[in-house]
Amino acid sequence: MKLREIDGLTFFKGLMIHIVAGLFVSCGTSNVVIQGSFPTPAINPIPLSVAVYYDDNLRNFSYMEYSETGREEINIESGSSHVQLFDAVLPAMFERVITVNSMEDPEIEGVDAVFAPAIEEFQLALPAKTKLEVYEVWIQYNMRLIDSEGDSLADWVMTSYGKTPRETFLSVEDGINGAAVVALRDLASSFALNFARIPEVRDWLGSL
Amino acid sequence: MKTVEEKSKAIQKAALVFAIGLSSCATTTIDEFRQGQTGIEADETIVILGRREGSSFETDSDFVECVGERMGQGDNSISVVPEREFIDAMFPWFEPRNAPLRASDLERFMIEDIVARKMDEFRIRYMVWLEGETETDRSGSLSCAVGPGGGGCFGLAIQEDDTNFDATIWDLESLRNVGQINAAATGTSYMPAFVIPVPLPARVEANACNRLAVQLKDFVNGS
Repeated sequence: MKLREIDGLTFFKGLMIHIVAGLFVSCGTSNVVIQGSFPTPAINPIPLSVAVYYDDNLRNFSYMEYSETGREEINIESGSSHVQLFDAVLPAMFERVITVNSMEDPEIEGVDAVFAPAIEEFQLALPAKTKLEVYEVWIQYNMRLIDSEGDSLADWVMTSYGKTPRETFLSVEDGINGAAVVALRDLASSFALNFARIPEVRDWLGSL
Repeated sequence: MKTVEEKSKAIQKAALVFAIGLSSCATTTIDEFRQGQTGIEADETIVILGRREGSSFETDSDFVECVGERMGQGDNSISVVPEREFIDAMFPWFEPRNAPLRASDLERFMIEDIVARKMDEFRIRYMVWLEGETETDRSGSLSCAVGPGGGGCFGLAIQEDDTNFDATIWDLESLRNVGQINAAATGTSYMPAFVIPVPLPARVEANACNRLAVQLKDFVNGS
């Protein structure tokens, strides 16, 4: 009888620990690190030598989604996936690409232009809030092309969009990751195919 | 006087009889519209792609994969290039933002030597675009409970599925639209529960996939 009482107490304690732990998990902030693979674009490279500069804001970019009560809900880290994406796309777009760690890097002297992307805005739409059956991600970028003297050659805004359907066994984290990867691929597709059509870029390419 | 165990067995037998009586079923309708002659050589392939431009829904990649797998099986099977492999190899040309919407758009794509070369490497003769979705409507009531003495479910859950997919076939040799096939399927799935839930799925999407794959195979083979 004593043994049964102890078992019951242990079970009750275990149950309480799980309930309390569950409450902490549901109240805590979940972290999503965007991970995906980005294929090399099948495009003809432009005969240019380009340096790419990823500033710290891009490298460490993260977005915090808040609940309706203002509580921190989901932290989305997408800086490294953006770097990974540009590292896959740029070498296919230009004949020579180097990465520089600052705008004062001496290697900049030998290139035709420096490309510096920046994320201006990140938006997330969750099915629980929109009542739609999709996870959606919008990202707005400021793309800058600078010459070796530091003068602006082109400065334009791009937006990308990605969505992924809600499925029975798909976690919120996987849904966000799926939508973000689609948005990143959307950026790559639009950037790679439309780069030479940006009016300022087209004028600059025409002047070379 | 029946024991509790006998009563439980009697309820389960009644549930089974009721379940058989409900017997889920699905109805599939196929419509074909041919606009040109077709035929495929043994060394040629096709690719099946899902439309994903719309904001309200996107064609399920599992359905696209199902149709491709079925086309690669049985008599007169056709070699199908997997959707993801094709889209990644052709990146970024077939991303939702850039994908061709009409067969005539293919001319613009094929001007790019890199695109034409990759199409040639895959030996693609036909490009099939699938667009559609399955709408689901749930009704009924089923509840489950667990207690110290055991657990069980009671009630009846009903799910009506309405599947509608359009397949548009483009010939990469003539760069023309050669036809459309529509597959529509409806069916009702039941899940009666007297202690144990007994799922009776209607397999609506699977039926639509099988019928569409058979029709597409015949269409591409020109039979």
